[in-house]
Amino acid sequence: MSYRETVTKLRERALDPAKSAAALTRETGKPLIGCFPVYAPEEIIYAAGALPVGMWGGKTELKLADRYLQSFCCSVMRANLELGLKGSYGALRGVVIPTFCDSLKCVCENWKTAVPQLPALPIVYPQNRSAAGTLYMKDELARFKGEAEKLLRVNISEEALMAAWETYEDCRAAQRGFVAAVARHAGAIDAETRHLILKAAYFSDRAEYARLLRVITEGLASEAEDSTEASPGIRRRAYGIKAVLTGYMSEPAEILRILDENGVAVVGDDLAHASRQFRVAGRREGCFWELMAGRMADQSGCAFLYDPNKSRGRNLLHMVREADADAVIVFMMKFCDPEEFDYPIYRKELEAAGVPVLCLEVDQQTDSFEQIRTRVQSFAETLGTAPLGVRAGGKA
Amino acid sequence: MFAGIDIGSSSSKAAIIGDDGRLLSVSVHNQGAGTDGHRQALERALALAGAERSDIRFLVATGYGRMRYEGADRQLTEISCHAKGVAWLTSGARTIIDVGGQDSKAIKLDAAGNVANFAMNEKCAAGTGRFLEVMARVLDCRVDELSEIAAASVKEVPISSVCAVFAESEVISRLSSGERPEDVARGAHVSIARRIAGLAGRIGCQPEIVMTGGVALNGDAVACLSKELGHEVLVAPHAQAIGAVGAAAFAWEMARAAK
Repeated sequence: MSYRETVTKLRERALDPAKSAAALTRETGKPLIGCFPVYAPEEIIYAAGALPVGMWGGKTELKLADRYLQSFCCSVMRANLELGLKGSYGALRGVVIPTFCDSLKCVCENWKTAVPQLPALPIVYPQNRSAAGTLYMKDELARFKGEAEKLLRVNISEEALMAAWETYEDCRAAQRGFVAAVARHAGAIDAETRHLILKAAYFSDRAEYARLLRVITEGLASEAEDSTEASPGIRRRAYGIKAVLTGYMSEPAEILRILDENGVAVVGDDLAHASRQFRVAGRREGCFWELMAGRMADQSGCAFLYDPNKSRGRNLLHMVREADADAVIVFMMKFCDPEEFDYPIYRKELEAAGVPVLCLEVDQQTDSFEQIRTRVQSFAETLGTAPLGVRAGGKA
Repeated sequence: MFAGIDIGSSSSKAAIIGDDGRLLSVSVHNQGAGTDGHRQALERALALAGAERSDIRFLVATGYGRMRYEGADRQLTEISCHAKGVAWLTSGARTIIDVGGQDSKAIKLDAAGNVANFAMNEKCAAGTGRFLEVMARVLDCRVDELSEIAAASVKEVPISSVCAVFAESEVISRLSSGERPEDVARGAHVSIARRIAGLAGRIGCQPEIVMTGGVALNGDAVACLSKELGHEVLVAPHAQAIGAVGAAAFAWEMARAAK
């Protein structure tokens, strides 16, 4: 399969998560365990012979979720609950619900009553990620393993855990390689395609996904910079702004299309849904529990993990400089308190360093994008990269 | 000649600029995106300039309906166009407050009059012309009568609800309890001024402050905003149509640059 065909395959996988999840369990014969945001011990599920799939909301008409989560709660949590209440998660054997924010804490309890047919495996990550927090994390992961064994009726061996760790580490390395390649070939992979390729990981066996991702990364490296050949998701175009994205997740995808229309290329991200999942390489020494706990301890600049050093702004500045980016675009998920707490701190640091920042308030259920279109186009015009505006019909 | 057309949510505006860069005409038609108001606004502006459509060498569209206007050579945002319009007709502005029917925007300008930063209201009618339309309906008057009514107020009836829908209920309750419509109108202006001042605070409001958009025609609202900001707020010439003027100015510049 060529790298262009691989791009199409992963795009399609991410565009229809329900279909992809059903195909995944049918083709592998493995049970699926849904994982709520932001982090889940996927390696343990994988070691148990099941496959973790991401549960990061989705577009759905919210009718039932109001019983548990009011309209001022994060739209991702509301969508997950809505889909659970509608019975859309029939392909899953159970769900992992961590408690990174107040909405997740509510969902963790509500789920047991609202969707009793789908058992919940709660996990509590430590806010304090020092030595004491790491010690706690190891115990909590071991407890989680016991719960997973009961649900899936298996015994998980140490060998299986280490093998799963290696599979995930290899996948994370492939993901880091992919985003670095896109940063070098930003004109070839548009913002939406980059997002979909990364999203496809959540509906894949990570061993297969890593292989596919490397096909794309190698294909991109072999592409001539001036190629004008186009295929779905791949085209050469001029862009005026190189941007780093930050926030919870870059959905709805229509916004990414608006970035593309306005000549904005994504050369890096600090999104919880994307790079925060794989940017930290695991330590090389220690038992499985130490490696897993160590990876969380080594993560910095994430709104969902207490960071006394407030390093997010510095991390973003580093990313901007490394990718030679022109701006940072914030995808601020409406009612996401942890992300909103961080925003004024890193915005101030970025602006002090002369990095323009555009904040877009997003909601997964948004249908009208005209205000966001105006913000993005105005931002491009302000940076002087779109001085002639957009031609009639919206084509740059 | 060069044309600019600003298709807003509640009205359409057009402006014509001559080959020498002089503003020849402006027009406002009280029908916005989704209607043929833009056609009528342009025809009126052309008639006022003594011109025909074929005389227009370059046309820039802006506003909420810009992306669906097929007669444009370019489409630019109202943020850029308001800044350009203000720079075209005035000098010294560092902050623009644009309050239209659906959106309100605070635009920070650099010394050369270019957009340095901007902030927009979120998807809510608070701090927009729509809020005043709702208030006018409750007070049983036209929106353009609100300023005159409020000028006769002797006190401000505070309207604490930010949401226009809740504010409507609150105003009905105030009127039922015997408050005067004049004082309620003043309260509505103070309420909108506070929302806009909050928006302006996000970009760091610096004088001179120039107000544009339809709400700039409401003198009492402008006075309330001046008080909230602690600086005099000037009203731009052709305040409601200045986005169209800016669009026409861009058309003039782009056509010259393309030569």
